[in-house]
Amino acid sequence: MKYKDEIIRSMEWLSEKEDTIFLGQSVLYSGNAIYNTLKTLPEEKRIELPVFEEIQMGMSTGMALEGLVPISCFPRFDFLLRCMDGLVNHLDKMQHMTEGTFKPKVIMRTSIGSTSPLNGGVQHTQDHTDPIMRMLYEVNVVSLHEPKQIFPAFEEAYKTDCSTLLIERGDYYNEK
Amino acid sequence: MKIKIPSHLKKVRDVKVQRHELIDFESNVVSQYEDGKIRGPVHLSKNNENELIDIFQYVHEDDWVFSSWRNHYHALLHGIPRDTLMDMIVRGKSMSVYSDKPKFYSSSIVGGIIPLALGTARAQKMNDSKNKTWCFIGDMTFETGIFYEAYKYVCNHDLSLQFVVEDNNMSTNTPTDEAWGGKRDVPDDVIYYKYEREYPHHGTGNWILF
Repeated sequence: MKYKDEIIRSMEWLSEKEDTIFLGQSVLYSGNAIYNTLKTLPEEKRIELPVFEEIQMGMSTGMALEGLVPISCFPRFDFLLRCMDGLVNHLDKMQHMTEGTFKPKVIMRTSIGSTSPLNGGVQHTQDHTDPIMRMLYEVNVVSLHEPKQIFPAFEEAYKTDCSTLLIERGDYYNEK
Repeated sequence: MKIKIPSHLKKVRDVKVQRHELIDFESNVVSQYEDGKIRGPVHLSKNNENELIDIFQYVHEDDWVFSSWRNHYHALLHGIPRDTLMDMIVRGKSMSVYSDKPKFYSSSIVGGIIPLALGTARAQKMNDSKNKTWCFIGDMTFETGIFYEAYKYVCNHDLSLQFVVEDNNMSTNTPTDEAWGGKRDVPDDVIYYKYEREYPHHGTGNWILF
């Protein structure tokens, strides 16, 4: 299977779980590449959100505190920077701060924007994988390079008892 | 100060904790802090006991309560046992008091709890829960943009998230009204009260030698 097809397969598998919910901008309406990996999912499993990344991150964490498993979609890595407080100071520190009492499980998807055939420029194509890996202690960070990695990575993200940030690469949607 | 409680809220709890117990608890924290037994910052409450006792009559024991660095009164009134709370404080966790039963979470970053509270309220609605989420914030947090984004979402999606604004007009030692050049009007469905801070932002006001 190709890169994008593996992502679609993973999303369809996750959508079959009773406790999952997909949220973000363009999860219900077209607008970015991530939408094309979600459009086969039942509409009732998708919540279209306004552009408010900081709230989206905390909202996902809060939903996880109530027992849901949100698959929170941030279309580009550049946009994910707008919710660093929710990610670094809250979601990533919650087990430590609560001495293991709260272990919210949020599955976050983001993507390094493609540079070919169109190059989105520096605000749409940045790769912050290395710094974000150094900043996060409780959230697993997985960089998705190969199609064969993808389904096991999402499967593990669902089965583990912590949160995971999965980083996709827009160029691979066409190349691999 | 007489508090205006939104009409859709009903009393659901007979609050057992009395005013003097709240004050005594904080006095005990002062003693332990000044004896050098607490190796972390403490943010003490005083002068808002009556308002909070009134408000917590509307907070169900199964509701979520989100609070900030100044959370001891909220924690006690929501049912965290005194000994448990004091143990956390002595271990330096005053700014991040938590509990899964009753559901309680606090954060020491301005505005940080607002999206979390929105998330639990959204999930409560999805799960057809009868419980609510309560979010206690100060007046500086009330003025931030994240409050307004969250408030708009809560109203438009009819979520059971009740905001309570506790206004001492101070953010650390910055007067909120002076820094902003004024304050915004408080919406009718937000519970609001004003009080005067007695303790400093953190600590007890006395120099401690550890």
